[in-house]
Amino acid sequence: MLEAISPMLTLAAADAGAQEGLRASLLVLVFPLLASIACGLCAVFGVKSKLPAWITVGALAASFVVTLMIWGQAGHNTFIAHGYEWITLAWGDGPGQQLVANLSLYIDSLTLLWMLFVTGLATLIALYASEYMSHDVGPGYCRFFAYFSLFVFSMACLVMGDNLLLLYLGWEGVGLCSYLLIGYFYTKPSAVAAAKKAFIVNRIGDLGLALGIFSVFVTFGTVEFAPLFEMLREGVDGAGAPLAGSWQATWIPVFFMIGAFGKSAQFPLYVWLPDAMEGPTPVSALIHAATMVTAGVYLIARMMPLYLLDGTHFALALVAWGGGITALLAATIGMAQFDIKRIMAYSTVSQLGFMFAGLGVLTSAGAAFHVFTHAFFKATLFLCCGAVMHGFAGQLDLRKLSGVGFMKGWGIVGIAMFIGCLNLAGFPFTAGYFSKDMILAQTFATPGYAMLGWVLLLTAGITAYYTFRVFFRVFVGPKLYEPGDEHHGDDNHSHDHDHAHEDFHPHPPGWAINSVLALLAVLSIAAAATYFINKPDHGWVGSMVHNSTADVTSPHEGTFLGMDPHKAMYYVSAIVGFIGIAIAFMLHYVGRRTSEKANADKLLPAVGPVATWAQGKWYIDELYDAVIRQPLLVLSHVFHIVDKLLVDGLVNLFGRLPTMTARALRPSQNGVLQSYAAGMAAGLVFVLLVVWALL
Amino acid sequence: MTELLPMLTTGATLAQIGDVFMHEVTLFHYLFVSAAMFALGVIGFLSRRNIIIMFLCTEMMFQGAGLAMIAFGRYHMNLTGDVFVIFILTIAAAESALALALVVLLYRRRETLDASAWAELRG
Amino acid sequence: MLLLLVVIPIVAALLIAFASPALARRIAGASSLLFFALTVACAFVFDWSDGAAFQMPFRLPLGLGDDGAAGVALEFGVDGVAMLLIMLTGLLAPLCVFGSFSSITDRVRTYYAWLLALQAPMVAVFLARDLITFYVAFEFTLVPMYVLISLFGSTNRKHAATKFFLFTFTGSLMTLAGLLYVVWFNATQLPLSGLGAGEWSFNIGVLMEAARQMSATEQAWVLLAMMCGFAVKTPLFPVHTWLPLAHTEAPTAGSVVLAGVLLKLGTYGLYRFVIPFVPVAVAEYAPLIAIISIIGIVYAGLICWVQRDVKKLVAYSSVSHLGFCVLGLFALNSVGSVGSVMYMINHGLSTGALFFCVGMMYERYHTRSLEEVGGLAKKMPVWAFFTVFFTLASVGLPGLNGFVSEIMCLLGAFQSGATWGVGGTPGPLGPWFAAVAATGMIIAAIYLLYMVGRIVFGPLREPEGHEHHGPLPVDLNRREILVLAPLAALCLFLGLYPRPALKALEAPVAHALAGVHEHRATMTANTAGALVLVETPPLGAREEATP
Repeated sequence: MLEAISPMLTLAAADAGAQEGLRASLLVLVFPLLASIACGLCAVFGVKSKLPAWITVGALAASFVVTLMIWGQAGHNTFIAHGYEWITLAWGDGPGQQLVANLSLYIDSLTLLWMLFVTGLATLIALYASEYMSHDVGPGYCRFFAYFSLFVFSMACLVMGDNLLLLYLGWEGVGLCSYLLIGYFYTKPSAVAAAKKAFIVNRIGDLGLALGIFSVFVTFGTVEFAPLFEMLREGVDGAGAPLAGSWQATWIPVFFMIGAFGKSAQFPLYVWLPDAMEGPTPVSALIHAATMVTAGVYLIARMMPLYLLDGTHFALALVAWGGGITALLAATIGMAQFDIKRIMAYSTVSQLGFMFAGLGVLTSAGAAFHVFTHAFFKATLFLCCGAVMHGFAGQLDLRKLSGVGFMKGWGIVGIAMFIGCLNLAGFPFTAGYFSKDMILAQTFATPGYAMLGWVLLLTAGITAYYTFRVFFRVFVGPKLYEPGDEHHGDDNHSHDHDHAHEDFHPHPPGWAINSVLALLAVLSIAAAATYFINKPDHGWVGSMVHNSTADVTSPHEGTFLGMDPHKAMYYVSAIVGFIGIAIAFMLHYVGRRTSEKANADKLLPAVGPVATWAQGKWYIDELYDAVIRQPLLVLSHVFHIVDKLLVDGLVNLFGRLPTMTARALRPSQNGVLQSYAAGMAAGLVFVLLVVWALL
Repeated sequence: MTELLPMLTTGATLAQIGDVFMHEVTLFHYLFVSAAMFALGVIGFLSRRNIIIMFLCTEMMFQGAGLAMIAFGRYHMNLTGDVFVIFILTIAAAESALALALVVLLYRRRETLDASAWAELRG
Repeated sequence: MLLLLVVIPIVAALLIAFASPALARRIAGASSLLFFALTVACAFVFDWSDGAAFQMPFRLPLGLGDDGAAGVALEFGVDGVAMLLIMLTGLLAPLCVFGSFSSITDRVRTYYAWLLALQAPMVAVFLARDLITFYVAFEFTLVPMYVLISLFGSTNRKHAATKFFLFTFTGSLMTLAGLLYVVWFNATQLPLSGLGAGEWSFNIGVLMEAARQMSATEQAWVLLAMMCGFAVKTPLFPVHTWLPLAHTEAPTAGSVVLAGVLLKLGTYGLYRFVIPFVPVAVAEYAPLIAIISIIGIVYAGLICWVQRDVKKLVAYSSVSHLGFCVLGLFALNSVGSVGSVMYMINHGLSTGALFFCVGMMYERYHTRSLEEVGGLAKKMPVWAFFTVFFTLASVGLPGLNGFVSEIMCLLGAFQSGATWGVGGTPGPLGPWFAAVAATGMIIAAIYLLYMVGRIVFGPLREPEGHEHHGPLPVDLNRREILVLAPLAALCLFLGLYPRPALKALEAPVAHALAGVHEHRATMTANTAGALVLVETPPLGAREEATP
């Protein structure tokens, strides 16, 4: 089949602007879509084998290969691959009098960068899931892989779409798949609630995105990227008027930012992501760590020219500080959690904050590089947590597990986890170290953001601490465990979990999980190597970004305490990381005999209620509930009552008017002969009087 | 008679009106009597409770109307009014037979001739 | 051909009335399929490239006038918009018949006869080119619906049916008054100014031309009169209360037709009469109507959230959704109006289907309470799939039909009146309208996911003594799947490839908006002239260039 595709990938000589071609890249979308349909058919025909998994893995691998081939063919050029006309409406011939949104693809190196790791990681994680979900073989298994493939399809639409409406389709499509997959264990009320929350919070962001798209259309008269970027290059709107200093230049980026903050779980819309951990772990790894949540970063990177229109960089400052605040906030919450998957979730929120800070301080290359490295090491971390959860019957509490890495059959998990943790903590010469440094250094290099730099540096230290807190407690130390009470996906909670402990033996991961973990661990180390390809361009990722619309000129005016921040940060961040790891080592490894207690507990009285507050996630969920949800609910009840009593009451009142009139007139019909006669006489008198008056 | 209306509207003295009445027996006199009979009938019908009396009152109204018709017939010098009255008399006779029968029936039911005893049609 | 569309259901209804119950079902099924086939045939005969023209004309003079040129006539003709709505009616007819096989076991003949009889006036409303034909058909839809609700509804059906009848009837009487004023104006007032033939014409096209000659005050009064009827039918915010009641009490097929087609009569009336007839008043009062729609979107949406009855929830969601539809229409530009017409069709498909889903649940559990049932995905996966699917279509998920129309309505409102950039169109609304209305998207997600989260997902909850499924299996049977599958397929098709429908709507919508554009052009010319007189800079070049 691939031989059949490759001739189609021929293309013309490279030019600066977008050119048509590479229609074969539509296959990147087609394969996952077909896989999704096939998995759905498997469900219809009641397939009771791992067939859906193999279909999905095959299709995603095919997508990955096609992406690789496109990359090979396209290089750093921009292409538009035409699909078909989706939404087209014309009401005139002039500029801005047609709404055109085709199902076509816009392929440049930013797109390719994203699609490479999306399809690549999706393939690996699907392989992992084939084993992870094996207890659910049957309709649930089909369902899972159908959603999984649909997710990759939507993500491809999001990343590759050649217009904002198709991007929006992908944007909401990934949201839908996220909703369906978080709610995969649909009999669990918490999963259903988390799914709902994710969708609704995302919708708030989508509102911003929709308004952004509308404004873009009205300003530029198009939602297609190619003409849009053409205009943005000139800095003019559709009529040719310069945009610098206009309100659009200030506010359209803010609209897009709201969308990005919703999808990428940034303050104040981050609350859905930690709850999203109710989904199966492969989903958390792929959607809620590696790919979907980076869509916001992609959006801002993609629309970077729009952000640069405004000379004051108002929106970029918001992005930077939004990211910085989120990074710190999530890290402080992550420090105090006990559920290892939640810790990972908060670390994802925190790392996404780094990426946004990177975008805000004008290093889109750094942000994209961090997306790239983060995708690998965070996927590794999640999948390791998943392996633990799978092996210990859903146990995720770090107070109930210890020394897992040294147990028989858990070696690969332990090593992969160690590599992942090193990356996340920013240990020198790991991929996470280089990517985080790029962002940190730039915050000092860009004038006006030094404060943000210190915040992020503090966050980096906290990150190193809570990452290794998990590692030192769960993966090393005395070998102790207490199984969870879940048989994931198996809704039969009822069967005797009193005996579960005595009969329980943790079952170590099989070949699929182990090989995926090993490969991912290797890849997360290898990702560091890309930093040295094309070094002056900030590595391979940097060169991909620089050849796309996300290219920005990073300023170099600022210093870090008088030193060149890019050089100083190599040492500073390494030291910060070491300190974090060392504190974790002291508090959670040294002298720990049980899984429950560690030295850290002795510090608890010193910090007072702060630890409890952090553990309670600073009560932001409760705050939202009290400030937004409850008043809205009360308002709904009020509206309902108003509707019943006032609006409908008025209607019923009109309905009763005839009856009421009749009732008022009823006494006149008293049945007494004389009163009727009197009425007649009165009538006669009245007629006579009228005649009298008229004469 | 024809001069009476303008007199009433312009506000003549009672003596002037009396002059008109005294002058000769005109259509107006007949009509006055007929109106008086009708009015008495109405008043009687409204004020009395006894069904028979009420019935007699309606007869009086009838005859008031009849008198007016005859007067007009005479006035116009044709027989239309007289023919009408003959018809009315015939019908009134038949009607009074029917009505009296009904009165007897009603009296047997309630042992009273009070009209207010029957108010079945009260709304 | 168009006459056949009206005649077939009536003949079928008569046949059913005199057939045996078993045969009645078969006749109903066959004739509704025939009806559907005929609508499809019409769509093939219809020349889509000339969608603005009223094609396949049919005219039968009824009395008045020597040669019958003027006066009342049975007159039909379809343009692109009407054709699409007729196809929707045609599609829903067989689905309603087949969807009722198991739920209606009593008085079968009455039921199917009236259900079929309902199709004729509905389709006649879309076909009508004569005012009286339109009005008679518009009102006659009430009779079969009244019977369906009052005989086959749930406990409170008599009250619901009476309210439905009286409420909408009162409204449409006002509409009739407004429209008759236009007839009178055409016949007696226009000739005074040397225009028109002075005939008592009831032709909608003639009247449209005449109505545009009315003064602004007259137009405003006619607008008010017409809004009375059409707003009640749509229904818009303060006059919507008959709808939840009627929906809750109606039998499943009744709800489907009600949501699918009957509500569209209101929006179709707005599209066919209000906008082309009184453009001056429309341009003036559009912001007011838009505000009412937006209030409806938010208000009804929030009310949905606290409903305990699934059917009532979906009914209120109709009120909220049709707010988008009216908002798009009164953006008075192509994007908004095309979006609005698409909304009519999409809402018919997805909400109609949701009512089917709720009905299928009701047939099995005999309750619609969110408190009593839950987590049905466990027991009825196929049903759960369809319910979630149609819910998502209703939420406006991209890739499904609801998105295309919703985003177009909002974009239409957003660009209407925008004076910056190049994508704006002249119009009465603006970004703020769109921004506030767009919160409806969030609210829709809240209440619909709440509903799905209760009845489809979560732990399984069933009412006591639910085992009496009757002849129905636990999950959907083949007949029920066949009822839902075409709707799902269409939702998907219109979501992924709306292009043909949009293309078909371009011309007729432009035709309907011509009056508004004309008015706007004269206004702009006048304003520009006035501005030149007082020596202020003229308006933006783009606005002046607008034809």
